[in-house]
Amino acid sequence: MKKAHIIGIVIIAIAIGAIISTVSDAATYADFSKAEQLEGKEIQVVGVLNKEKDIIYNPKENANQFSFYMLDNNGMEKKVVFNGTKPQDFERSEQVVITGESKGEEFHANKILMKCPSKYNDGQPDGLTEITAESNS
Amino acid sequence: MIEYVGENIIAGQIGNFLIVLAFVSSILSMIFYLKSSDLSLELTSWKRLGRLFYRIHSVALLGLIGILFYLIYTHSFEYYYVWRHSSTDLHMRYIFSCFWEGQEGSTMLWAFWNVVLGNILIRTAKEWEGGVLSIFASVQAFHVAMLLGIYILDTQIGSNPFQLLREHSDMLSLPFVSNPNYLEFVEGNGLNPLLQNYWMVIHPPTLFFGFATTLIPFSYAITALRKREYRSWLKKALPWTYFSIAILGLGILMGGAWAYESLSFGGFWAWDPVENSSLIPWIVLIAAGHLMIINQGKSRSMFSTFVFSLAGFVFVIYSTYLTKSGILGETSVHSFADGLPGQLLVFLFFYLAVALFFLFKDGWRLIKKTEEEAFWSKEFWMFLATLVLVIAGFQIILSTSIPVINTIFGTDMAPAADPISHYNSWQIPLAVVITFLIGISQWLKYKSTKPSELFKNILPPLLISVLASIIMASILGMKTLFLIALMFTSFFAVFSNLHYLVKVFKGNVKKGGSTLAHIGFSLLILGSVLAFGNQKIISKNTTPVDIKFENDKDANKENIMMIKGDTVLMEPYFVTYNQRRIEDKYVYFDMDYLRLNSEGQYVKLFSLNPFVQLNEQMGNVPEPSTKHYWNRDIFTHITYADLENLDEASQEAYRDADTLNIALGDSIFISNSVIYIESLERNVDSTNHELLAGTPIGLGLNIKAKTLDGRNYEVMPLMIVDIDNNRIYSPWAEIEELGVRFNFATTSNMDKNKVELRVAEKNKNSGDFVIMQALVFPYINIVWIGCILMVLGTLIAVFNRFQILNSRKKLQSR
Repeated sequence: MKKAHIIGIVIIAIAIGAIISTVSDAATYADFSKAEQLEGKEIQVVGVLNKEKDIIYNPKENANQFSFYMLDNNGMEKKVVFNGTKPQDFERSEQVVITGESKGEEFHANKILMKCPSKYNDGQPDGLTEITAESNS
Repeated sequence: MIEYVGENIIAGQIGNFLIVLAFVSSILSMIFYLKSSDLSLELTSWKRLGRLFYRIHSVALLGLIGILFYLIYTHSFEYYYVWRHSSTDLHMRYIFSCFWEGQEGSTMLWAFWNVVLGNILIRTAKEWEGGVLSIFASVQAFHVAMLLGIYILDTQIGSNPFQLLREHSDMLSLPFVSNPNYLEFVEGNGLNPLLQNYWMVIHPPTLFFGFATTLIPFSYAITALRKREYRSWLKKALPWTYFSIAILGLGILMGGAWAYESLSFGGFWAWDPVENSSLIPWIVLIAAGHLMIINQGKSRSMFSTFVFSLAGFVFVIYSTYLTKSGILGETSVHSFADGLPGQLLVFLFFYLAVALFFLFKDGWRLIKKTEEEAFWSKEFWMFLATLVLVIAGFQIILSTSIPVINTIFGTDMAPAADPISHYNSWQIPLAVVITFLIGISQWLKYKSTKPSELFKNILPPLLISVLASIIMASILGMKTLFLIALMFTSFFAVFSNLHYLVKVFKGNVKKGGSTLAHIGFSLLILGSVLAFGNQKIISKNTTPVDIKFENDKDANKENIMMIKGDTVLMEPYFVTYNQRRIEDKYVYFDMDYLRLNSEGQYVKLFSLNPFVQLNEQMGNVPEPSTKHYWNRDIFTHITYADLENLDEASQEAYRDADTLNIALGDSIFISNSVIYIESLERNVDSTNHELLAGTPIGLGLNIKAKTLDGRNYEVMPLMIVDIDNNRIYSPWAEIEELGVRFNFATTSNMDKNKVELRVAEKNKNSGDFVIMQALVFPYINIVWIGCILMVLGTLIAVFNRFQILNSRKKLQSR
């Protein structure tokens, strides 16, 4: 066998390994009901913060724990517990993506990603609504 | 028809004219240049026309950029782009950031560099001008099409930077549109606070310069395939390819430096999809560059050389598509979705198709059986290293493209939950191989090398690296096998190349540019292992609160709460939250780092000032602060701070009172002192209390307060029973210095020795705390030194190549 063939085989093997690892390391997008079925498995849930309910964060007691209620895209609500500090401007978030696992009644998140309305250029021109209120008066 | 007051319409009209002119001239230039290179001989008259229109295009584009700058500078908010990305209170040093914040501005920035490079190539490309510049002109047509802002059959082509605010589709229904004086009160939306940073002034232009340079190897490769001149293009394209590697690398690394200096995730590289997508073309071009060198002497793998030279630019467009189309959606915080996804896809597929067409039309002829290279030849090992590089790139692109794979195949994959460990588990072993190959390949000779000679040369660096690795591993207490392995191979790569630089080039850096670049790259990897593989969180949570999580990986104990004045041990420092300062829209938190001296006193070593940039509209942005020592960085950032009630009036306001049922003789802790509830005073002297004058019954409570530093205060809240008016009341009794006040809960039943006491503190007493994180990064300076050497070394090598190219030409012309 030629060197080129050996190298070729090794490369193909590594490439297949990379594909398998990407697929197996990939988390799954799911809603809360599916997360409950797959209790203990790492899941990503996309949804919105329930602003009606309390965001519980007592930094003086424990700076590394905060919890909130989130509605998934099907409208199902669940309490989310996050071990970390509350992200700045969390209340303003428009969309929340959490990664973690379902445990009983709660969802234990280890990562939170949030999108704020105007931080990245899309969204409505909220700046101008104030101005127009002035022009009406 | 409304006569609007104060609008500068003429500037926008000139701008729109220039857009059309730039678009038309780029297409004409492309056509004439194509004509000139259509036939085997270059026709000068067509070429002259192509050149003329490229220059017209250049002038139009520069004018366009000038007008947009002028409009931002004059705060012309009648233009949507200006309104969207700037505001009057914005510092002028950020005018550049405003310019390229949006899709239109960043497109113009990219097109600007193409103008610069195109005009250089007009002078230097010689017989390649027609082919190369026709591709440049076509790319410019795609860029300017992104600025057109016209509709063809309900499809929007481009987004016009000179669109008026009042004509923008978001605004049409708003009442200001019918107000002729609207400019008097319209204020700009402002710039994203993340971009209000000096790194964001220099990082985007460098990165886009890098993007633009990738077009040069692409254009040469296409032209070579068209002309079927499969070899002569190499010497033209090679220096430009390395120039592209240097500039693109610099741009990417600047992004990393920005992330480390200004973002709060505490790192240099987070394997974010946007970061990855700009890394891929860089890796591809490094592969292309090395293949070019292998093929310079003798065609060995010319087909792969073409593939990678073409892939660099295609991946740059792919990267732009990922970033701007919004397809990354919820997987990246970087992505923004104001681009024109359809148009970007056309852009991508057009050049992908062009590349594939020419590759398979004629290029396949280049795949031919060649004799095997000798095992101990430089070519063989360089080729091997290139393949490893390609695997590394493949793994990155695969994982980064998950959202794209989902879209195409309808799958439901989410990116790896822990991206850093996912990517590292692949990239660290691959980096071990690559750094090892960098270490040995310098000593290999083309065609064949004597193995004994090779071993003699690499033995000293090998021994030194073993020694250095043992020392560093024991200093830092490293335990992870792969990190130790990577540290060893990168040490080896550094020392081996250093040895080569001294022994072969006699320390002549001018000749050893590429060696220097390899030293830089290896130092960058070495520094990353040392700094980020051994980072230490010193702000461990020491609160007694038990975090009830079974799973250890969830327990995030990296943050610590500091109340103003607290001194907390963070090995090896004591850290005090000294004060909060508000300057303009920045809230600074002064954290003093102290050390105990031999006499047991605190000595201040340095002070760090992490801050939060307040931005009501787009959200507050925290920024870390770092103390740089030669051998380590101490990185500090605020993860949470109460940013409400920042103004003085609300600081002085009292919060809601707590009601305490408390026995006489007890004491309670408040935020700044201990409160002793001493005794009840039943015979209050009414003469001293104007409130009591004339009232029959009063009850007082003796309260003493003692602060932590030993100051004493007394106060006596009163309960007044006004029998005449049949009411009971208890006014507030305040200790002003401590910001605390007391009264009785008037509904309480008076027990013999128990009272219901209400206590309230001012906002400022407790509002002043922060939650912070402190990390130590050992030897991080090696990362920066590596970055600088890598870019510098590459540029030296490029400069040398250009010089050789020129001197050869001079010889020929004689």
